[in-house]
Amino acid sequence: MPCELKEKKRTGVINPIFTCQPAGAQYASIGIKDCIAIVHGGQGCVMFVRLWFSQHYKESFELASSSVHEDGAVFGAVQRVEQAVDVLLMRYPYVKVVPIISTCSTEVIGDDIDGVVNKLNEGLLKEKYADRDIHLIPIHTPSFKGSHVSGYNVAVEAIIKHFAKNDKKDKKLNLLTGWQNPGDVKTLKHLLAEMDVDANVIFDIEEFDAPLMPDGNHVAHGSTTIDDLENTGSAIGTIALNNYEVGKAAHYLEETFDIPTKIGPAPIGIRNTDTFLQNIKELTGKSIPESLVKERGIALDAITDVAHMFLADKRVAIYGHPDLVIGLAEFCLDLEMKPVLLLLGDDNTTYTEEPRIKELQNNVDYDMEIIMNADLWELGDRLQNKGLKLDLILGHSKGRFIAMDSNVPLVRVGFPIFDRAGFYRQPIVGYEGAMILAERMANAWFTDMEYTKNKEWLLSMW
Amino acid sequence: MDMTLDSKKDTLMDYIMKNCLWQFNSRAWDRELQNENIIKKATQLLCHESPEKSTPADRCYWAEAKQLVDEWQCFPWLSKMTATDTKCMMGKLKNDLDSQLITNSLNEELNDPNY
Amino acid sequence: MPYHEFECSKCIPERIKHAVDKTPAENLSDALPLGYLNTIPGTLSERGCAYCGAKHVIGTPMKDVIHLSHGPIGCTYDTWQTKRYISDNDNFQLKYTFASDMKEKHIVFGAEKVLKDNIIEAFKAFPHIKRMSIYQTCASALIGDDIKAVAQEVMEEMPDVDIFICNSPGFAGPSQSGGHHKINIAWVNDKVGQVEPKITSDYVINYVGEYNIQGDQEVMQDYFKRMGIQVLSTFTGNGSYDDLRAMHRAHLNVLECARSAEYICNELRKRYGIPRMDIDGCGFGPLASSLRKIGLFFGIEDRAEAIIEEETKRWKPELDWYAARLQGKKVCLWPGGSKLWHWAHVIHEEMGLEVVSVYTKFGHQGDMEKGISRCEAGALAIDDPNELEGLEAMYKLKPDLIITGKRPGEVAKKIRVPYLNAHAYHNGPYKGFEGWVRFARDIYNAVYSPIHKLAFVDISKDAISTDKNFVTRQMLSDKDIDPAVVNSKELHEYTGEFDSIKKLRNKEYPKFPQKGKLTAV
Repeated sequence: MPCELKEKKRTGVINPIFTCQPAGAQYASIGIKDCIAIVHGGQGCVMFVRLWFSQHYKESFELASSSVHEDGAVFGAVQRVEQAVDVLLMRYPYVKVVPIISTCSTEVIGDDIDGVVNKLNEGLLKEKYADRDIHLIPIHTPSFKGSHVSGYNVAVEAIIKHFAKNDKKDKKLNLLTGWQNPGDVKTLKHLLAEMDVDANVIFDIEEFDAPLMPDGNHVAHGSTTIDDLENTGSAIGTIALNNYEVGKAAHYLEETFDIPTKIGPAPIGIRNTDTFLQNIKELTGKSIPESLVKERGIALDAITDVAHMFLADKRVAIYGHPDLVIGLAEFCLDLEMKPVLLLLGDDNTTYTEEPRIKELQNNVDYDMEIIMNADLWELGDRLQNKGLKLDLILGHSKGRFIAMDSNVPLVRVGFPIFDRAGFYRQPIVGYEGAMILAERMANAWFTDMEYTKNKEWLLSMW
Repeated sequence: MDMTLDSKKDTLMDYIMKNCLWQFNSRAWDRELQNENIIKKATQLLCHESPEKSTPADRCYWAEAKQLVDEWQCFPWLSKMTATDTKCMMGKLKNDLDSQLITNSLNEELNDPNY
Repeated sequence: MPYHEFECSKCIPERIKHAVDKTPAENLSDALPLGYLNTIPGTLSERGCAYCGAKHVIGTPMKDVIHLSHGPIGCTYDTWQTKRYISDNDNFQLKYTFASDMKEKHIVFGAEKVLKDNIIEAFKAFPHIKRMSIYQTCASALIGDDIKAVAQEVMEEMPDVDIFICNSPGFAGPSQSGGHHKINIAWVNDKVGQVEPKITSDYVINYVGEYNIQGDQEVMQDYFKRMGIQVLSTFTGNGSYDDLRAMHRAHLNVLECARSAEYICNELRKRYGIPRMDIDGCGFGPLASSLRKIGLFFGIEDRAEAIIEEETKRWKPELDWYAARLQGKKVCLWPGGSKLWHWAHVIHEEMGLEVVSVYTKFGHQGDMEKGISRCEAGALAIDDPNELEGLEAMYKLKPDLIITGKRPGEVAKKIRVPYLNAHAYHNGPYKGFEGWVRFARDIYNAVYSPIHKLAFVDISKDAISTDKNFVTRQMLSDKDIDPAVVNSKELHEYTGEFDSIKKLRNKEYPKFPQKGKLTAV
């Protein structure tokens, strides 16, 4: 079979693609309005994740630490959580939602964050904060399991479980977006608006692209409210994009509240966007309007200009979040490109059962490798030592040195992108995103042609 | 108005606190050695005596002292002082350093027995 | 010096002893902020962990080393590509990071076997690298893996490799400073004295507490080489593992960041009698004093003088161009540790900036002593600041500029205070004479950014001036300064290259014949 799915052979990781679970839980938390999560662990587990978000967005997001020090590691540190909750609530009067996120250290020492939440609910919150609507949500994200992707999945489920109610009047369509950028959320909202669908977007992170306002606004934050989260249990349907990111929450809503659910691909590429619209149509009964036919047409027209002339047969490697990598690979195939190496960077063992991967395995007509539990050295080693030839790499900024040292243009897609300006604003989903992606790849290739003098004259007549 | 010995001493103290780093070693015993040796050698230089600099430690104290005294040429009154006055002033200066940085210091790490 | 009470921290009274307003009449023995104490949970403190202090700050700038973290993936990922410590060996330490990728089964059954496999794999992947540092993390510390024993086993099987172990889990101390301490002591205990270096000069130093941010180390090393001084090792920026094993053979430890590296200088002084000389690599005056002191120590002060004269002549007119335009601008100097005292006095003296506040994320009281001594009266000094206190201070002090870390810089930006990166620099290096001009240039560019000024206009309320289609920095900076300065033929803007380091690599240096061992050293 030309398409081989296998695990990385080495035990360790050289240049990781992913970070750990608590980081994913933190990403979910910042999507909620009036929310500051407390990460129960060492301070680095928060400081670096805040830095990570700020590298990508050039914004600051609020996240707190329980600051576990030596004594806590030895004797247990749940009292640090109690203190952290109190200090946080005293100093941030607007805060309503406080996820308590565990880490490797506090899971190993066995701190009972569920117990401490119960204790605080019965004690501190009743005694001192009775006039405030406070939600403490324990989220278990030991760093030695999964990755930030599974951490996000776990956190979204925990948050939805905490809030979802089936007796709300507002009947909307749930859209669980998965790990997206503000530009993507804006595009998803646009598609829903064109379909005339009133959707509950979880999480609405459009405001992560925060303005610089004359009156000062010191942090960026998501806009999803408690009301929105409660409404998820009363929705007319759920569309969950990215199974590995929001699959758990979608299943929970489906099983608990009997909400019709479509767990589908993120609308990456024309075909996946068609599927997305079809799913909306099925769940809402709305029809696809002429405006989207036109929008699709504009994208097809633009993509046609670059596809078979330039992108055809270009060999690419793709790394990042599993749903993203698969979606990009699918789109590349539609563009006549050859994704030859897909890197899925965590220890998830269910990829072997993934129908979209099976589709690739059944239909790809050239040699393709899909590596599970991969790191970026799987890419670097092949390029530098094993003779792998690539025309493009698709992935996030952490792969920049491997790409540069191998002289292969890196088209930035995914999270984090800290070495290009404003990419969080540019969608990669929807028809617009498909067009942007195809053009971004073509332009990267064009620049490379020019600076490596590789038929650079070709573009003089295009 | 002529400066008093104390105001001269204060001027030099301010200079050290603002510009030097040698007085800020992390432990009391090191601060004592630094203050004592560097001020002693600076005093000797100001009084045209020859400081001891045969060991690496002495040479380092001397280099700090020599540099300091060279920079103090910006205070023209200093070279006009008698040796007795200079020694008296420098003695007070050392007391101030010891007081602010050792004996009355609020730095709670000064007496930690380990580095 | 009264302690400063923040409105936002009235509900946590223990914070009051962490901030002080500097007054003219009092001194350090009247008030000094507490420091290096456990963080109050939930404050949104800006501190990191002891693992990052050891691995990320001090360990990883070592350039010819595989840096492997024994733990789950996050610690490694998070401390990778978040700093700018370059090296002259093609940045191996920036490009590659290694993790043992500890999983649940390892937590239960131990991860020593997986660690051993990891070490061997890593050396196999990069056969030209023969040195490794292994960093403990919270998880591997808590399960009690004996990393040293594993490393010993590998070293016996692979005699050409050497491995250093740093046991500094994230929770080991109130901040990253705990990790600085642990790695200093581990290095001097385990590695110093193992290699006998080739001595090529009569004047041999270790350059300590210098991390080659954007090339700082290479700038300073250039001066040392021009003086004929052998830089035996640098702890640790652009530093070589084996050079650092030979630290015991230097005549002098030249110490830059005392916060992160005074421990090893103190130990080397105690154990090997090597004197410790604290220096400032930043600012024309302090740098000149520092080079002179080193020159004096070795009896080569004339060589220092020649460099100072040449560099000052070359760069002073450019520094002064900026200084003339920065007078009286208010700055919050809010770095991590040592920049607080390296910069507090000299940005005032040489650029005319008013330091209205200093803070330190992970400094100790000793850093505050230095910082408070060096800044002017009126400044607010804060230990272990948190986000609300930082905002309160900025609203109160209305600085023109904040010099701080990347993420807090984003907070400042939103309330329209431009920021410069204190840790990684904007367009450094900032050390050396040229570097200091680059710093002044970056400050000027931030303070007089026309776009930044537009952020103060509320187009819905304020009058919109339609008379200008653009504004330049100089239209803003020159309108209130002496025309003689504006028209000066002598002063001019920075004329160096975008990359000021490249020219230093492979540079030829004058030969100073060795005379033999100095009597004094």
